[in-house]
Amino acid sequence: MLLAFLLASLLAQDSSSVGRPPTTAVERQPRTIAIDDALAERAHLKVGDRVSISAGAGTVGDTVIVGAIVRRGADPSEVARGDLRVWMHLDQLQAVAGYGDRVDRFAIAATPAADIPQLIDRVNGIAFGFKAYRSRDIAVETSRTFQVVSRFHRAIGIITIVASSVFLLCIMVLKVEERRRDIAALRLMGISRATVMRAVIIEAAVVAVLGSALGVAIGWAISLVVNWHYQALYQTPLAFSIVTPPTVAFAVSLSLVLGIAAGVMASLRLVRTPPLALFGR
Amino acid sequence: MSAAIESPLVSLREVRRDYALGAERVHALQGVTLDVERGDYVAIVGPSGCGKSTLLNLIGVIDQPTSGTVAIAGKRVDAMSDREATQFRLRNIGFVFQRFYLMPILSALENVALPMAEAKVPKAERIQRATELLNYVGLGNRGRHRPSELSGGEQQRVAIARALANGPTLLLADEPTGELDARTGTEIISLFQRLNKDGTTLVVVTHDEDLASAAGRKIHMRDGRVVDP
Amino acid sequence: MRAALAQASLIRHRARTVLAVLGVAVAAAMLLDMVMLATGMRESFRELLLSRGFEIRLAPKGTLPFDTDATIPGVSAIIATLRKNPDVREISPVLGASIHVLAGNRDVSGSALGIDPSVQGDYELLSGRDVTTPDALVANDHLLRQLGARVGDTLNIATGYDPQTRTYSGQRKLVVTGRVKFIYGASDQSSAAMRRETLVGMNGQSRDRASLFMVRVRSGADAEQVRDWIDKQLPNVTAISIATAIAQVDERLSYFRQLALILGAVSLFVGFLLVTTLVTVSVNERAGEIAVMRAIGVSRSHVVEQIVLEGVAISFAGAVLGLALGLVTARYLNTILSAFPGLPMAIDFFLFQPRAAWSALGLLIVSGIGAGIYPAWRAASLPIAESLRREAIA
Repeated sequence: MLLAFLLASLLAQDSSSVGRPPTTAVERQPRTIAIDDALAERAHLKVGDRVSISAGAGTVGDTVIVGAIVRRGADPSEVARGDLRVWMHLDQLQAVAGYGDRVDRFAIAATPAADIPQLIDRVNGIAFGFKAYRSRDIAVETSRTFQVVSRFHRAIGIITIVASSVFLLCIMVLKVEERRRDIAALRLMGISRATVMRAVIIEAAVVAVLGSALGVAIGWAISLVVNWHYQALYQTPLAFSIVTPPTVAFAVSLSLVLGIAAGVMASLRLVRTPPLALFGR
Repeated sequence: MSAAIESPLVSLREVRRDYALGAERVHALQGVTLDVERGDYVAIVGPSGCGKSTLLNLIGVIDQPTSGTVAIAGKRVDAMSDREATQFRLRNIGFVFQRFYLMPILSALENVALPMAEAKVPKAERIQRATELLNYVGLGNRGRHRPSELSGGEQQRVAIARALANGPTLLLADEPTGELDARTGTEIISLFQRLNKDGTTLVVVTHDEDLASAAGRKIHMRDGRVVDP
Repeated sequence: MRAALAQASLIRHRARTVLAVLGVAVAAAMLLDMVMLATGMRESFRELLLSRGFEIRLAPKGTLPFDTDATIPGVSAIIATLRKNPDVREISPVLGASIHVLAGNRDVSGSALGIDPSVQGDYELLSGRDVTTPDALVANDHLLRQLGARVGDTLNIATGYDPQTRTYSGQRKLVVTGRVKFIYGASDQSSAAMRRETLVGMNGQSRDRASLFMVRVRSGADAEQVRDWIDKQLPNVTAISIATAIAQVDERLSYFRQLALILGAVSLFVGFLLVTTLVTVSVNERAGEIAVMRAIGVSRSHVVEQIVLEGVAISFAGAVLGLALGLVTARYLNTILSAFPGLPMAIDFFLFQPRAAWSALGLLIVSGIGAGIYPAWRAASLPIAESLRREAIA
């Protein structure tokens, strides 16, 4: 929330304006801040630019120098918000925002050998006015938005799989039906049902394998395009689509199973029909 | 004795028909010239592959010659557009096939009415005419039956009735008894004779000796040419 | 005759027709869902914003309403400025704050709105009385359930909490006078409302401050013009018209619109593929029949018409079935997305509009026609003699 104040003031000022005049020798040397790349682009700022930073629009602020431009990490919950970020020295932010000797939170890195749950308990035991949490637990809490999107994707995925299964079944049945005369001719020649079915199923399997391979290639290419598009759109390094070996294995297995099942279904129907009937007599 | 010389109903001059079969070029017809007069009953005979079906297709305007001319009732048909050819076939030519080719999803009556529907004959009229035609071919009581419920001979008779739907100038038949047993074949032969006696010009292609004998005139073909018997 | 032929042809291969209709139905359902998703949020949000008739909202500069804890100073001055515009009919200043409801050892936290009950547009009264007195409070069911409280109960409310000293500030006893439903509230939010002066009094820091102003314009007035006027008159606030708010939310949720577009296009394509495959197989089987029809004088276009009719019939039947299926899946998907934290309960992602259904149906029918035309035309254009010869050999 503090950042909102800062954001408002940063946008309101341009890089050539200065804040309240320095009163001490120390103050004469402006301090540095870091800004994120989105802000740098939007406000046309570069390293070395002077800006004035304050807690409210129209109020006099501190003059600072842009010391660094930071590329933001991939945080899914912030992707679409379009927030702009500034990093400052803690004491300066406290002074500018009138916050006093306060912070919103502490982040603690424990030694590799530390027992985290014990540490948390000890901190909470002596805590006065704050509570300690494991970072991982906080991340779960704050990623509810992302969880919802995840669930939605999964639901869409399930629906797509069901839909694809129906389509695949339809098309395979149609294509096998197209071969009814060939099948009839083979049966009339004395080829057994089992041999005919085997031939059809092998054909269906080959088509399924080739189709799966092509599908994986197309899916991988689309994944690249999706990431390229959304990373540019939201200016984030977040990967929106990842093709993993388990995903590929699942998709290929499913399409193989469905393709072969469709082939079996259709060929069963046809070998059970008397050959002459297949010729339309 | 002087009589007005009527032009032939069907006139072919130096007709050639070539087509590609894989990498080979087949000369199905090699310069055929013949006439068919109005009221003729012509049988075209010859060994398999001699070009008789090809000849029939050209007369029936379902194929076009590579060279030469084909005229029916004085009208050149060899260079018609698809639309003109289709309209011409609809109104002037009746076709009977070896394999009947009735629409399995329509009843006998509906099959006979199909060409009339295409010719935009009003529904009541086409049902009446279809019924008359079925009666003519001896199937007046089988109008509601689907082809699958009819014997081979009955199906062929329905096909003949269909061919007569729009009162064609010319009836063409390609091996009409090819799929029929001898007894049924005889019924069809009798029907053709009756048709010819009633004024229909017939050209049939056949291997059937009996059918060929029933015709008024035989044209022998070999290797794409008309030959002497 | 052509329609009869098309129908009979479809009935002839019942299993195949049923499968194809099912496939098209699934494609239609997805297409409908995607069309609903693409337009649903925007329409739902627009309806929500317009539900109380306030066309413009003023928020602290650079923010969206209640995006941050920032407040706007000088409420009286702002109201005076706004009243200068004759097109401004009503102004509703709203102050937002966090509250702690103290019940014995328990501290139930929630959010509170300080409003003017005569012009408020934030909640609907479900039962009881509105906040007509300074010590009145209305609350939503979520908060009342958490407290085990009822209309008529007195609650001890605090607006501040110092974690260092573990003391509460801004305490006051308020009486629950009514049960309300907050229009913009999320389903899991504990919320209450009281008179703005009451909240200002409790929350000493926010005298003469508001989190948000809602402005209703005179009927017939141009809301965008008023918005522009406010922008010039009050440079320290951001004036948001409904169109702007929708555009901003659109941007945030653009991902779903794009997803909807892509999945919708894929569904349509797959449906198209299905119909084209069916028609191709069907005409390949009937090559002889088609050749004979042409031989007996049926025109090419009539043959094509009959075949295309089959494709259209399947698309239509599939679309109707898909409509029912699509509504079911949309409800399921909507339930998932409604769990978005902080999302107003009233927002639907999948909003059924008849226009959406007609669009989906229309697209499918056109696609069905397109899918049938090419294979049908090809089949009807095959040389007749060659087709007959091939059939004879076969």
